[in-house]
Amino acid sequence: MSGHGPVPPPEPLIDADSAGFWQATREGRIALCRCTGCGTWLARPLERCHRCAAPTSFEAVAGTGSIYSYIVVHHPGVPAFAHLVPYVIALVEFDEGPRLPGILLGERGPGVAIGQRVRAELTAFPGAAEHAITFRRVDLPAADFPAARR
Amino acid sequence: MAVREAAVAGIGRTAFSKCSGRTPLAMAAEAARAALDDAGLRPADVDGIIDFSTGDSASGPDVARAVGAVDLGLAMDLQGGGNLAVTVVGQAFAAVRAGTCDVVVVFRSLNGRSGNRYGRGDRPALAMRGDMQFAALNGYVIPPMWIAMFAQRHKHVYGTTDEDFGQIAITFRRHAAANPHAMQRQPIDMDDYLAARWICEPFRLYDCCLETDGAVALVVTSLDRARDLRQVPVRMAGFGEGHTHGGSWTNFPDLSEMYSAYAARRLWASTGLRPADIDVACLYDCFTGTVMATFEDFGFCPKGQTGAFFAEGRATYGGDVVVNPHGGLLSEGYLHGLNHHFEAVRQLRGDAGDRQVAGARHALVTAGAGPAGGALIYEAGQ
Repeated sequence: MSGHGPVPPPEPLIDADSAGFWQATREGRIALCRCTGCGTWLARPLERCHRCAAPTSFEAVAGTGSIYSYIVVHHPGVPAFAHLVPYVIALVEFDEGPRLPGILLGERGPGVAIGQRVRAELTAFPGAAEHAITFRRVDLPAADFPAARR
Repeated sequence: MAVREAAVAGIGRTAFSKCSGRTPLAMAAEAARAALDDAGLRPADVDGIIDFSTGDSASGPDVARAVGAVDLGLAMDLQGGGNLAVTVVGQAFAAVRAGTCDVVVVFRSLNGRSGNRYGRGDRPALAMRGDMQFAALNGYVIPPMWIAMFAQRHKHVYGTTDEDFGQIAITFRRHAAANPHAMQRQPIDMDDYLAARWICEPFRLYDCCLETDGAVALVVTSLDRARDLRQVPVRMAGFGEGHTHGGSWTNFPDLSEMYSAYAARRLWASTGLRPADIDVACLYDCFTGTVMATFEDFGFCPKGQTGAFFAEGRATYGGDVVVNPHGGLLSEGYLHGLNHHFEAVRQLRGDAGDRQVAGARHALVTAGAGPAGGALIYEAGQ
């Protein structure tokens, strides 16, 4: 590894159904797949809605959600993130419905709990071809995040 | 015309190791030959082959040719993980019952430790498409992560403790002590379990199965033919699978349960049996959390009660059901679930040596974790 730069994370296999999601991230936006007919948000991008078969498009989301579950990674099994251990990966339920997994930035485990509120952001990890969806807690003490205090 | 019955007539396997130094083809051929010898069949009798892999094995027709079977009426190379370890056997039975084939070899062969390791993210076992493309860039790409995410949700919903997971690991290790083929036979207690290093919280070292090199094969043929062969045939009471929610690890609706919440209905309807009828349960145990969710979903105890069930000795000899008498994937080795079939067949033949479950008549085998998998029940006797 040394002398060859950082090990990149695995690459997503982008196809015509998901291209809109990745295009949005390149423009600094988070947009998920949504049915133009019935309004259903689709966790898995599809050309047509799985409920009503109408065409879909990629629509901006609020970028907020809650921790549905989380893990604390201690064993450096994934080379790209070996230097970060221990770190947290949260499975976040966006307020629109779909869940996405992502690293909970700045966390090492203690204090993280299911149900906590988070905000999504785009992160370019070293060597990665695309931006990852990552998260930060927004329910931290008022001193850190006065506006987000609930 | 009456549907003919099918049965497992032979089982075979290689040594299990951390570094086989052999190809998956060579190991699969050895296991297939052993299974045919066990049955008393010749390679020329084989007219079907079914296997699964994640691109880390040899093709079925290649393995068949390697043992001398060159004319097959059925060859199925399924792509996928442990969720297919019941599918391959279920479809072998279906093919024999339908008359598509007379003798089907089912196998799984992999260098799970010395080759591509599922526990490492350099070459993920699953393609990073579909929902998984959103997991790739965060490195959310290896099974201990996915199943730990389920386990954390189970803790949240049911108040499951670390010790509840530990009871499962400790019980299987104690069983493995009586299994000469097991990779790990040194007993562990709760102090050992809790003192072991974290892998992926809430999983510690002993919550994770043992990446292993090796191969296992079964031979399925008609019951009538099996009755004339070397071993007592082992029949199947039925099977039920659940391939749910597009296989999504992240958007499966309720992470405190697994595919088993769906497959259970099909399993019990297909067999006409109930949990109390099961003497031996070979539960797919890639991680302790998989055992916990699936054991409950299949109805062996109420949700959230697995830890107590194991702690009270109800999952071992003298209890309600002996779960993983061979030690499972956690202690015998990760042969991707096909070793569970090997153990179930030995138990029902009454041929399991020091770890024989007295009077075993019904053996459950489950396969898979998360959104997809299945289960079948073997039945002893003629």
